[in-house]
Amino acid sequence: MSGTEKPPHALAAHVAECDECRVAPPPLARVTAVLEASVVLLDATALSRRALLRLQPEVARMAVSNLWRKVLAALLLALLPLPGVLAYDAYLLRLVYELASALVPAALAAYLIFGYAAFLILLFATTYAAIPLFLAERRVGERPALG
Amino acid sequence: MATDEELVAQLAHGDEAALRDLLQRYERPLSSFIHRHTGGRDVEDLYQETWWRVVRHAARFDPTRRFSTWLFQIAVNLCRDFHRRSPPEAYESADDLVAPDVRQRSEAAADAARLLAALPEAQREVIVLRYYHDFSEEQTADILGCPKGTVKSRLHHALAQLAARVREGGQ
Repeated sequence: MSGTEKPPHALAAHVAECDECRVAPPPLARVTAVLEASVVLLDATALSRRALLRLQPEVARMAVSNLWRKVLAALLLALLPLPGVLAYDAYLLRLVYELASALVPAALAAYLIFGYAAFLILLFATTYAAIPLFLAERRVGERPALG
Repeated sequence: MATDEELVAQLAHGDEAALRDLLQRYERPLSSFIHRHTGGRDVEDLYQETWWRVVRHAARFDPTRRFSTWLFQIAVNLCRDFHRRSPPEAYESADDLVAPDVRQRSEAAADAARLLAALPEAQREVIVLRYYHDFSEEQTADILGCPKGTVKSRLHHALAQLAARVREGGQ
């Protein structure tokens, strides 16, 4: 599609290939002269501006629902390896606890291991909480300035 | 530069910039098409409704198709609905939408508009799509939802009617 008002040769092409039109040719030049005089007196830019104003809330709604879809997908993806990671961490913590309890009193070893475990849980929680924040911030960065 | 189809994909994700680009690319051809189809009536409503449907259904757009074909298909359906709802009227212009520098419509332009308005709807659609918008026969058939042969025959009959009216009017 050209998107321009320049008349192509659709009618001429038809006359050239149509048996009926070849036998009794229509006054193509006169017809195209009349058709070419058709000027559409519209301020298309103003039309688009008003259409955009009407559509902006809908597009914004679509953007928000798309963001939530992404957040959900990212969270689900990030949660997939979590059981494995937690099991491996628990295994490591038990090893470290056994090693530490051989060197220091068991109560102190338990205190150190629980402290480390709490730190790990905090680290996980922060990481998962950062996913929606990261996606939201990226979306704000992508959005062009209104104007 | 992004293709129309890529812009629709971005629009489906709520990208306003993509919508702006599409509006900019198609504002003239689409508004002209609607204007010629309806004889200048309800152009703004139909224009807005066309884009509303594009936005609402952007996620369902088949990227293997051409966006322009889809867009004009929506516009054709809306214009047909409009004609079913509204009785035909004489050609008129939506003066509030007229660009300030082109307010003076020539007599020749009015004649052309009347000539187009006098054609049956199906023939007018083919003339406007093929002549003014340079759509191929295949694209026109796709937009109108009819076989290629029907496009050819409608073009033939439209041309015959236009020729007869031009001869009658001595233009």
